[in-house]
Amino acid sequence: MNTAVKIAGVQFKNPIITASGTFGFGQEYDKFYDISALGGICTKGVTREPRKGNAAPRIAETPSGMLNSVGLQNPGVDVFVKEDMPFLEKKDIVTIVNIAGSCEDDYIYVAEKASETKAQMIEMNISCPNVKAGGMAFGIYPDSVKNITAKVKKVCKKPLIVKLSPNVADIATNALAAQDGGADAVSLINTVTGMAINRFTRKPILANVTGGLSGPCVKPIALRMVNEVYRRVQIPIIGLGGIMSAADVIEFMIAGATAVQVGSANIFDPMAAFNIVNELTKEMECCKISNVNDIIGSLILS
Amino acid sequence: MKDYLVRVTENKKVAEDLYELTFAPKVGKFEQMKCGQFLQLQIPGLLLRRPFCLYKFDSDSITVAYAVVGKGTEKMVKLKKGDEFKVTLPLGNGWTLQDKHKKVVLLGGGVGCAPLAYVPITYPDREYFSFLGFADKSKVAFESEMSKKCKLTVVTTDNGSYGEKGFPTQALEKRLREIQPDVILVCGPRPMLKAAARLALAYGISAYASTEERMGCGVGACLVCACAVKQADGSVAMKRACADGPIFKLEDLVL
Ligand SMILES: Cc1cc2nc3c(=O)[nH]c(=O)nc-3n(C[C@H](O)[C@H](O)[C@H](O)COP(=O)(O)OP(=O)(O)OC[C@H]3O[C@@H](n4cnc5c(N)ncnc54)[C@H](O)[C@@H]3O)c2cc1C
Ligand SMILES: Cc1cc2nc3c(=O)[nH]c(=O)nc-3n(C[C@H](O)[C@H](O)[C@H](O)COP(=O)(O)O)c2cc1C
Ligand code: FES
Repeated sequence: MNTAVKIAGVQFKNPIITASGTFGFGQEYDKFYDISALGGICTKGVTREPRKGNAAPRIAETPSGMLNSVGLQNPGVDVFVKEDMPFLEKKDIVTIVNIAGSCEDDYIYVAEKASETKAQMIEMNISCPNVKAGGMAFGIYPDSVKNITAKVKKVCKKPLIVKLSPNVADIATNALAAQDGGADAVSLINTVTGMAINRFTRKPILANVTGGLSGPCVKPIALRMVNEVYRRVQIPIIGLGGIMSAADVIEFMIAGATAVQVGSANIFDPMAAFNIVNELTKEMECCKISNVNDIIGSLILS
Repeated sequence: MKDYLVRVTENKKVAEDLYELTFAPKVGKFEQMKCGQFLQLQIPGLLLRRPFCLYKFDSDSITVAYAVVGKGTEKMVKLKKGDEFKVTLPLGNGWTLQDKHKKVVLLGGGVGCAPLAYVPITYPDREYFSFLGFADKSKVAFESEMSKKCKLTVVTTDNGSYGEKGFPTQALEKRLREIQPDVILVCGPRPMLKAAARLALAYGISAYASTEERMGCGVGACLVCACAVKQADGSVAMKRACADGPIFKLEDLVL
């Protein structure tokens, strides 16, 4: 049975990658299981300077999901490279550095720094809904998606994944813009902007007022968007949003994803990503799949 | 740190809206735990786990004391003997007493008394003085447990329906000169931490507090539990309550 997939020349032993912001830099979950079992890890978003993130509370439970407003709390790219990267280099896992910024120069700086590491890929987050100046601003309009992708691609010495926001008019148009800008792959979806209210205090639950919705409640939206993008672009797609099981992984691949990311599921259960990897071959058997590559985009529409 | 499948052995009411849930590992034993550490409990039907302090524990059994305050804890009340669920533990740093901490004040508010109960068992060779605050007589708990191990146990209620009227910080302040504690360990609602911080500062006593932030992963990876903590150089850093805490030096907390 084959579970290996390839994206932009990078080989993953299985299509399961942990999603940015839900898995730190890997050390915490490595205490529960050897993270080398995973196909890949995508790091917490790193920025040029250290960032404190937003005020607390930063999390609210919702029906079938959660809202977060962490913002881009991280130690900055220099500390990340010095203190966190060495651990990941020792692991037999594809490391994807997720980068974010507030202006073009920030993205370029971080992409250059991340390019000097042994990470195999870079994922550019232009879709963070939790930071006022930045991230998202680059991710809304197709022109700016193409522009920032082209600029970062120029300095980026690793395959570049552009992470797309679902909070836009037409995500497929933005995916095309990323492709035109030179992206090697796209990943989607980032969180869906939402809100939670305490009816007794009449205040928002999140100190940031709004936050990003994730978990099983966003899965139908993510599946639909992955399929829309699959039908418009040629570059590979990494699908994510609400993946909780190996069955979900297979559904995303049928919709058009070459690999997937597991996010909130790690927060709900520290063993989640590891369990999904272990269930994958059994689930493939149930669905009569011998090679995961055979099902990518195999959705039957008639 | 491990994810355990556990089985309920007992779930009982101990005061108004306060329960004690006891469970054992389905297979094997629990690893080494420390007073003041916590666990993340998976409630059937809910996605986010709920954090609870270790109240009583050994390698075969753990008891948590929980107040019924919302959706998850309401579901917990329905757990019956034999029911199974997952729990990740042990999490966080736990209480650490230094050798010079000979006289220890345990200051608890409501269910916040729970994480203090095991300190005298972990550190038996000290003198303990406990001050436990509750809203009303119907909510009073932990008194007999604490009085077994403490030289002095004072219970207060906000309305005076049991013990002394007022807050436990007030009861403590009245006796501070007499006790002359070396350290105060506090767990309770934010206003209580603030009052304790004022006392500690005014009387020059070192103090540690267990914080209560909303949590996601509980293991240090998602950064949703950040709380502002003063650093040695005077700056303020966002620390993870779950992994760097939940216990911090009280004077360092930005309350
Ligand atoms: C380290 C730590 C230790 C704790 N130990 C205990 C304990 O020993 N006994 C006890 O009764 N309670 C304890 N709490 C508080 C307890 O976690 C909450 O009361 C509980 O999560 C409420 O869940 P709910 O579904 O009933 O409430 P809801 O209000 O329905 O919960 C909604 C969400 O908010 C979170 N939440 C609500 N109140 C709190 C709170 N006060 N602190 C943190 N998260 C909250 C919930 O976890 C959940 O994600 C502790 C909290 C922390 C952070
Ligand atoms: C707590 C939290 C923090 C996140 N931080 C980031 C981040 O720093 N960068 C990023 O690109 N996405 C971030 N995300 C988005 C996730 O990577 C993912 O796109 C989203 O949660 C949807 O997947 P899921 O439903 O599997 O969680 C974060 C999500 C959560 C829940
Ligand atoms: S709850 Fe995830 S880092 Fe603390």
